[in-house]
Amino acid sequence: MATSKSVAKGAKGKAKAKAPAKPAKANGNGKAPPAKARKSADVEFADPALFDPLTPGETADALRTLIEDRRVSSMAKVGRYRVICTEPLVVKPPHWMAGHRLARVVAYDYAADRAVDACVDLDAGVVAHLELNKGQPMLSRDEEAIAISVAMSDDRVRGKLELGDTAQSVMHYWGRSPNELAYARRSAAVIFGRATGHASLIAVVDLIDQQVTQVVPAELW
Amino acid sequence: MSNSNVIQEANWKFHWRLTESAGIMIYLADYKGKRVLWEGSLPYVTVDHQRESLEVDSAAETHGQWWTPLGTRTIQGPVRVQLFRGGVELSASFASGPYQYTQLWRFHDDGRLCPWLTIYGPGVHDSHTYHPHFRFDFDLDGADEDAFERFEDGRWQRVDQEGWFPYSGEADESGNVWRQVDFGSRASINMRPHSWDDAEVFAIRYHDGEWAPFSPRSAAGSQPFPAAYVGAEDLDGQDLSLWYVAHVHFDQSFPYTAGPWIKVEGLAK
Repeated sequence: MATSKSVAKGAKGKAKAKAPAKPAKANGNGKAPPAKARKSADVEFADPALFDPLTPGETADALRTLIEDRRVSSMAKVGRYRVICTEPLVVKPPHWMAGHRLARVVAYDYAADRAVDACVDLDAGVVAHLELNKGQPMLSRDEEAIAISVAMSDDRVRGKLELGDTAQSVMHYWGRSPNELAYARRSAAVIFGRATGHASLIAVVDLIDQQVTQVVPAELW
Repeated sequence: MSNSNVIQEANWKFHWRLTESAGIMIYLADYKGKRVLWEGSLPYVTVDHQRESLEVDSAAETHGQWWTPLGTRTIQGPVRVQLFRGGVELSASFASGPYQYTQLWRFHDDGRLCPWLTIYGPGVHDSHTYHPHFRFDFDLDGADEDAFERFEDGRWQRVDQEGWFPYSGEADESGNVWRQVDFGSRASINMRPHSWDDAEVFAIRYHDGEWAPFSPRSAAGSQPFPAAYVGAEDLDGQDLSLWYVAHVHFDQSFPYTAGPWIKVEGLAK
């Protein structure tokens, strides 16, 4: 989850790593444990059932709880968002949510051009943790289908496809240069080619405006 | 009622499940009855491309990275569980167009653990590089009171702060380059890179809220994950998460299997 704090500190991360290391103790792990009690020993008694896949009902419950949360009311009201995925989340002791049945819901809000990353406490029926940020989560299945549809409708793409070429896969893509639209905008790259053969063509699709922004022969990608 | 897939073989007891985007996740893994791993997964494999050019002002990499999740939408067939001499392994194949992978988790009865990824498929052209990202949340005898060390200048050196630690070519007599040590039990998790992985490890203090992201992509212009999680927090005596990142250039010798050898040492029976 890209908190603003963690993104900001990331910019200096690699430089920090260059700091000289100090020698380990002779046995490499010889530092005496702190006097305080070992507060995390109960990670050994975690309930494996908390990691189980969410049931359809739990998934529905998590989504309902999220979109009723006031903090995302604008997203729910405008209704231009995609749920990327909903998966179980397990928090370690001694966190207060440890032992709770949790769902992590990741969505992309097109209206605000932002990612929504939420932890829903299914036991309590509340959104226990919410991050709204400019990160780019993976593509949803719907977005993959939209990208293919947009690419297949584009005359530049159709004009370059050869007989037997189909969409092989859809990749979550982001540009290297600020001059590229896909640098900052949510984008997908659709790879075309024969079903059992090599790629022939790549179409980059801007998912916000649903238009093709680049058409590149695969060998020139 | 639990839907957990639990396996107890070769001195190991662990659970697994197929995720939406991070391949096969292993969780709550014990070796000889002692907790070793809270959770381990393969959050993503990014791919970037280079263009061969003799022009001086031509950028070798003109496009950015891309990726597709390894999980429920790309798996080919079931997750396989197989015994082998001295251990048990899980494997699953994933495909997305010209990219194909087999993810492996191998558990040996001597404490070795092999989270690997075999990469094959032609890609869109020959000049491309894979970057598999493995994430491990080891909890040796409890979550806290751990430290991170790397082998440097002929000896193990304690690392004070979060950071990015590339393989420099130096390793101990067993080939290990990084390790997570536990103060209380004096046990350690040792990591040996594949010598052709061009590997690096990100050592990060564990925080709730910094769970494995559903994409390497953070905001435009910002560092991708896991670098975006790296700050200046102390590691000594904390709960850690480690990311092993390999950089594998496609060549004619593919398929190639990336990933570290991991070995648990020093856990009391």
